[in-house]
Amino acid sequence: MGNIMSTSFAPECTEAKKKYDDCFNSWYTDKFLAGKSMQNECTELWYDYKACVDAALVKRGMVKMVDEARKDAPFETGGIPQDNSDATNEK
Amino acid sequence: MKIFESHHLFNYPWEQVSAANWKKYPNEMSTQVVGVDILRREVDPVSKILRTERLITCEQSIPNWLSFIVGGLKRSYVREVSEVDPINKSVVMRSMNLTMNSLLQVYEVVTYTPDPSAPTARTKFTQEAQITAYASIKKLCNKVEEWGIDRFDFNAKRGKIGFESVLKNVSENWESVKGAVMEEIEVKVGVLDEVTEKVRHGVFKFD
Repeated sequence: MGNIMSTSFAPECTEAKKKYDDCFNSWYTDKFLAGKSMQNECTELWYDYKACVDAALVKRGMVKMVDEARKDAPFETGGIPQDNSDATNEK
Repeated sequence: MKIFESHHLFNYPWEQVSAANWKKYPNEMSTQVVGVDILRREVDPVSKILRTERLITCEQSIPNWLSFIVGGLKRSYVREVSEVDPINKSVVMRSMNLTMNSLLQVYEVVTYTPDPSAPTARTKFTQEAQITAYASIKKLCNKVEEWGIDRFDFNAKRGKIGFESVLKNVSENWESVKGAVMEEIEVKVGVLDEVTEKVRHGVFKFD
């Protein structure tokens, strides 16, 4: 894998994203799934990448859009929309 | 609201499928996905669930009738929150479009779990999407209403300034044209009422 690069929505963040993704994918397979480590070990790369993404969201005027979605479907509850029951319970 | 459902079995163990899931994009079949970003990621220390928030960027040509409404916007965004439970072996991903959601809302739930009949060899994939057109007619109505109010406010302000000058003019020869002014005001009020009625009608027609 990884022969085609997964890009960021902001081209200036793609390099940082790739470094973080590579680290995360190894951690996920070797440690997380194996139950060896619950600590994300890619912290430093994560902060580099995240800083880039956060700045890009501000620069492109996308913060409000994302924040509204977060209010509608909070991260803490796994992204289930507040005004709607889960699709699996809707039938 | 329309519900879309699909199921599939992958001939790979759950661990491999869940790992490949993070590397799903780019792939040659999903060319509409041009970017995947991680916005937040945490491991719950108690449940051991890995929770991830992603921003998925799509570029896809849209039908002409729609581009007429949205103004040729080609790039769209989807926010996804996923949960990987390594103990119970499940992946659940919930996503919703961030753009154009006052016209069309797509809420999708994807799950990957081991196939009960071959839990170490096969993975069950389920996909369910609720697609709602004008999910938020209220949002659209609000937009139209806001536009209506802005336009009304703009016209009202201009109307006042215009009327100010008319009044100034008229007051200079008040006595002679008193009757004419009263008529003028009555006509203006009548027009205003008509406009108000029309705005109301136009706005509430959507309900």
